[in-house]
Amino acid sequence: MSNNFYHYPGWVRLWHLINAILCLFLIVTGFSMLYSDPENALVVKFQRAVAIHNVCGVLLTISYTLFLFGNLFTPNGRNYLISLKGLGTRLWKQGYFYAFGYFKGEKAPFPVGSDRKFNPLQQVSYIGVMYLVLPMLFITGWALMFPEFILKKFLGLSGIFLTDQFHVVLGFLVVVFLFIHIYVSTMGKSMVSNFRSIVTGWQESH
Amino acid sequence: MGNRFFRHLILCFFVPVALTSAATAMQQQEETIVEEKQKGLEFSLYAEDNEQNCLRCHGKLVFSITDTVSGLSRKELMAEHNFISPDAFYNSVHWSFSCLDCHSDGFKSFPHAIETRFETGWGCLDCHGYDPTYAQYQFEEIDAEYQRSIHHTATDGAFTCWQCHDAHYYNPLARESGSGRKNILKSNEMCLHCHGNPDIIGLVTEKELTMVLPRHEWLPDPDRHLAAVRCIDCHTRMNDSILVAHEVMSADSAVNTCVDCHSQNSILMGTLYKYVSKETRDQKGFVNGVIFSNDSYVIGANRSKFISLTGMIIIALVLLIAGVHTAIRIIIKPVKKYYE
Repeated sequence: MSNNFYHYPGWVRLWHLINAILCLFLIVTGFSMLYSDPENALVVKFQRAVAIHNVCGVLLTISYTLFLFGNLFTPNGRNYLISLKGLGTRLWKQGYFYAFGYFKGEKAPFPVGSDRKFNPLQQVSYIGVMYLVLPMLFITGWALMFPEFILKKFLGLSGIFLTDQFHVVLGFLVVVFLFIHIYVSTMGKSMVSNFRSIVTGWQESH
Repeated sequence: MGNRFFRHLILCFFVPVALTSAATAMQQQEETIVEEKQKGLEFSLYAEDNEQNCLRCHGKLVFSITDTVSGLSRKELMAEHNFISPDAFYNSVHWSFSCLDCHSDGFKSFPHAIETRFETGWGCLDCHGYDPTYAQYQFEEIDAEYQRSIHHTATDGAFTCWQCHDAHYYNPLARESGSGRKNILKSNEMCLHCHGNPDIIGLVTEKELTMVLPRHEWLPDPDRHLAAVRCIDCHTRMNDSILVAHEVMSADSAVNTCVDCHSQNSILMGTLYKYVSKETRDQKGFVNGVIFSNDSYVIGANRSKFISLTGMIIIALVLLIAGVHTAIRIIIKPVKKYYE
């Protein structure tokens, strides 16, 4: 019996869409800049990649700030509050389910419902990305646009170089997160049901 | 507790906003200074005095002299190196000075006494050194760098600040030249003023001048390099604690491999990047200077082979795990109870 429920409010879907588009542009231009050399324009030409990356970075900062306010003033923020009590056990159960239980036809230990938006693994990774990785990406990205504010030296190395490398490492983390995020999204009721629900707002359930 | 956490996070994002505001304020301050200086001639307390005395001759390419006994007058050409352009002087940072603030009273009489030719001109540190007002410009560190530079050691002290920074016309480069590329051009013109002119370089050294362009033919696309990089980026010892490094090294010690710039820990990241980024932003503002025409990135300069390789390996592993997981899903076709 169908028991669909409204899972994603309009502003979350809109923010998610903007976030996804900007992240894709940032990843493509980021890789283009990282692996460019004078003879090889990787996907996007170097100078164009710089401009696009900067524009998208600024827009993503604005979009992220709105997301923070949204989480602060709407019930959506509750999904990002995690209880540390028993967290290890919950993470293990969810990890075991993805690795083995899923194939054995076991029930999901923390099924998504109207009262639970994320399972424990999703919750930890989303909190990590949204409240740790992205803020640090923004800070390092903005710092690279205002390099005179960066520490001149740190542990004997150029502060700009370290900031840049930290920005790159964080960028790689976002790429890894994105792949896992997309893959896990295919593990819904059908391969596309989760993608449909982030567009329509309605989550399909049995 | 959650709300407190959010508030701290939001605060983090006011920092970039504050930085942008600071940059805008700095730009406005620069504009104010430029406006003030453009009024230099109008506001200088000594302008009239300068005009009626020193600049009456030194401010003109052709000047008149009169024999007070015979009453005869004649016109003469002012030697190029003794000519002071009044327009440029009143637009320089020293616009408010009287000529005699720096030049001795010996110059009051004409013809100038022979002793005046042996007077030592003021150097930058004589006024700006060890003065908290100018601390931000780090004149002392610049001087220490200069003392170690080939300009000082190879010329027996004949080379002074003036060779590059004529106090009559001095302006911070960015104020004169505007955008990053023009800025680089202006900076290089400063070097080529001597290094492109065998006669001028003879003032400080007996050494024969090697022509600049043939010495740089080894560079791939030399014109592009010389337009995009300042001479000092390769010819000074890197010091990113001052805005412009002044320790010019001998030609043998200059940067001469591609990877010095186009690689991890590029020397340009500490020098040109910071310099161009700030100056371009001051001139063009945040949107045009930082977002759309940011020339301060250097191809390959932000690449660490280790990080790039590790990142790609991790991404490949994630894709591999996802692939294996997918394959098992296809083979086993699990009964989904995910949402039950």
